[in-house]
Amino acid sequence: MQNLVNPIEAMYESRPKRWWFYTMVLLIVVVLLGWSAGAINFKGLAARGSDVAYGILYSIVHPDVNLLLDLSQNGIIYMLLETVAIAVLGTLVGGVLAVPFSFLASENIVPKWVAFFFRAIILLIRTIPSLVWALVWIRVTGPGAFCGVLTQSVCSIGMISKMYVNAIEDLDTRILESLDASGCTTFQKIRYGILPQLYANFVSTLIYRFDINIKDATTLGIVGAGGIGAALVQCINSRRWSMVGSFLFGMIVLMLIIELFSTKVRNKLARG
Amino acid sequence: MIEFVHVGKTYPNGVQGLKDVNLTIEQGEFVAIIGLSGAGKSTLIRTINRMIDVTSGQVLVDSVDVMSLRGRQLRRFRRHIGMIFQSFNLVTRSTVIKNVLTSMVPDMSFFRVLFGIFTRKQEIAALAALDKVGILDKAYTRCDQLSGGQQQRVALARTLNQNPTIILADEPVAALDPVTANQVMSDFKRINKEMNISILINIHHVDLALDFADRVVGIRAGEIVYDGPVAEVTQDVLDIIYNGAPVPKAADELSAKEAAEIAAAKAQKEIEANSAQKEAQV
Amino acid sequence: MAREKKEKAVKVPWFDRIFPPKKMTVGDHSVQKPRSRAWLITLVMVAIVWGSISMIHFDFTVFARNIHQFTVILAKIFNPKWTYFQKVIPPLMDTIKMSLMGTAIGSFAALPFAVVSSTNIMHSGPVVAFFRIVLNIVRTLPTLVIASISALIFGLGTFAGTVAITIFTFGVVTKMLYESIETIDMGAFEAMEAMGATKFQAFWNAVFPQVLPTYLSHSLFSFEINIRAATILGYVGAGGLGILIDERIGWRDYEGLGTVLLALFVVVLIIENTSQYLRRKLS
Repeated sequence: MQNLVNPIEAMYESRPKRWWFYTMVLLIVVVLLGWSAGAINFKGLAARGSDVAYGILYSIVHPDVNLLLDLSQNGIIYMLLETVAIAVLGTLVGGVLAVPFSFLASENIVPKWVAFFFRAIILLIRTIPSLVWALVWIRVTGPGAFCGVLTQSVCSIGMISKMYVNAIEDLDTRILESLDASGCTTFQKIRYGILPQLYANFVSTLIYRFDINIKDATTLGIVGAGGIGAALVQCINSRRWSMVGSFLFGMIVLMLIIELFSTKVRNKLARG
Repeated sequence: MIEFVHVGKTYPNGVQGLKDVNLTIEQGEFVAIIGLSGAGKSTLIRTINRMIDVTSGQVLVDSVDVMSLRGRQLRRFRRHIGMIFQSFNLVTRSTVIKNVLTSMVPDMSFFRVLFGIFTRKQEIAALAALDKVGILDKAYTRCDQLSGGQQQRVALARTLNQNPTIILADEPVAALDPVTANQVMSDFKRINKEMNISILINIHHVDLALDFADRVVGIRAGEIVYDGPVAEVTQDVLDIIYNGAPVPKAADELSAKEAAEIAAAKAQKEIEANSAQKEAQV
Repeated sequence: MAREKKEKAVKVPWFDRIFPPKKMTVGDHSVQKPRSRAWLITLVMVAIVWGSISMIHFDFTVFARNIHQFTVILAKIFNPKWTYFQKVIPPLMDTIKMSLMGTAIGSFAALPFAVVSSTNIMHSGPVVAFFRIVLNIVRTLPTLVIASISALIFGLGTFAGTVAITIFTFGVVTKMLYESIETIDMGAFEAMEAMGATKFQAFWNAVFPQVLPTYLSHSLFSFEINIRAATILGYVGAGGLGILIDERIGWRDYEGLGTVLLALFVVVLIIENTSQYLRRKLS
């Protein structure tokens, strides 16, 4: 038998031809982007738009120092602290309430249908944007920081539960076996087998959510739920760009500090 | 031809990687570099393609001082030198053929590189390189599905695809089992003989070095303590390289006292050997 | 003989300097037991919480009086008006379009920025530090704030919203991307540099294929987040469902609000599941 075909050429001819697939993907992406581009109608800068941009940028870099150092109730520092307070309490309450929710939503703790039901509730909570929650809670408590705390608590439950559920489902049950073998009660097994595994993860999640809540708290302030957001939106509406810039400056500094701390602590928790 | 002329490498923290290295390697030689970990083998090899800079002396490749090359010239220079690594250094998520084709990338235009468009000629050449190391059938499989030995061969094919004049190998078989290590070493030998490519191998396994190489260079603490053909490597030589026995000086460098000591020691050894022989006969 | 490297001094934590560890001895072996930090942490936490509570004016009487309102509202929300559904579609489409565009542009811009922020590709410390600081500042501002300012600069409408989403996506994806780039194996990159490739060629052929799956995964994940964020942007006039939400709440039309939220819920569900499926296929 004569093998005339060069084996290398044969290999080349038999190569998998994937360019159909790539072209199709590219086509889909182009179509999607083209369709979405319809949403962008650039009407040019708004009237005095460039004034706004310049005004704000300028005052971010040259913040109003008097405003910054004003320690009274109208000062930036007080408002930033109020924002932090909202985030602290919101995260804490949300975290505490999330614990029972997440255990009830974990498939390795409760029967499947129970877990499914609670997961649906958690999903529902998470889908409703925090802004909507805030607007609803305002009807109950009136505008102010209290509303902010309530909103953040509810929203935090959503995300924290999801992350807790992930941690609970990853539980290593083998340690329970060894604790069982040395004669521990259920309470002891939970305290020494389950809690140490979850503790670091829980605290890390809380800190992560706290970081997000600080940013969220300023957003909620815009709808009136207290904190620096409220003052910010007032300044924007009254077009006092210098004050806006100063507020933004304060916000940036606060968030940089908090992020620095939270990353440090979370790294320490992860690596010990 | 590779020449080291009084080459020294001192790191910023004061550690001396290489000390007064003098070496000449002709085109087509198969050289094994042996020595303890940290003795300077990797440093020595990496000065040739300037992955590491030398701090004193010169490294000349075909009469070109490596340290004088910059930017584009350096990259063109590196095209002719292939490098094989202990951990293969392949893009494991990509297919074998894609990895071999990366050796063509430095010669391609920006847009071809961006969209990964290779010509038919390039692909056939890559397949030919794979055929040379005997894994043509795996050309379109992903690298992480191959064994260690197969991956090292892909790396070898990648290097061959460059058509290098020199191949530097840094512990190429350290991560492989003995059988595969043997196969890879014989691949090196075959390439060396058939294509007249100079091959410098850093290697821990002295037995493999002695089986396959033509010439052995021993390094200890950054200095060359042995440089000679494989046939002349004895246990004494290995002691010098690995166990820190003192390097014997050439005859004309010895003082009278040292010459007498060495002669006495040699005589003593002969007497012991003779008596051991006599006892064995009884 | 090579000189020995200097021993790296072990850093003593400041806590252990103030409260030195206890020496525990058994026979003739001993070990240092660091003192527990739990009490200090508890003290700090209690102080923070107490401080927070005292800052916020909790009016529980108002709360108790109006809590039934909450249940009423909630009941209405879960009773959506089906006839209203038609009106929801256009702003919903707007929201999706804004998110798509913003995510695409933001992710695209994130790639070069992440490369210059990675320590294993850029060997210059100050350059990396500079880009990371700029990135951190961009990330601190909440999307809504960026959106309201964009609305002032570019006028009301979806363009402002897209700008805000682009900036947000850019921040998130760049950070995730450079964190991925720093964990990959640089072996293949080194091999390509050894064969004469430029830094760009080596990056594109040896580094990028390794990070591509994670890059796409992160982009899809930001798309998920952006859909939800995009709905809010309408509140400040930056287009999308947010305008409807604001309207409905203003008119106390909670059934209508329910319709809007239901539509949002369905879309998010579809997108989240598709995205999770795609992300699983990528890894």
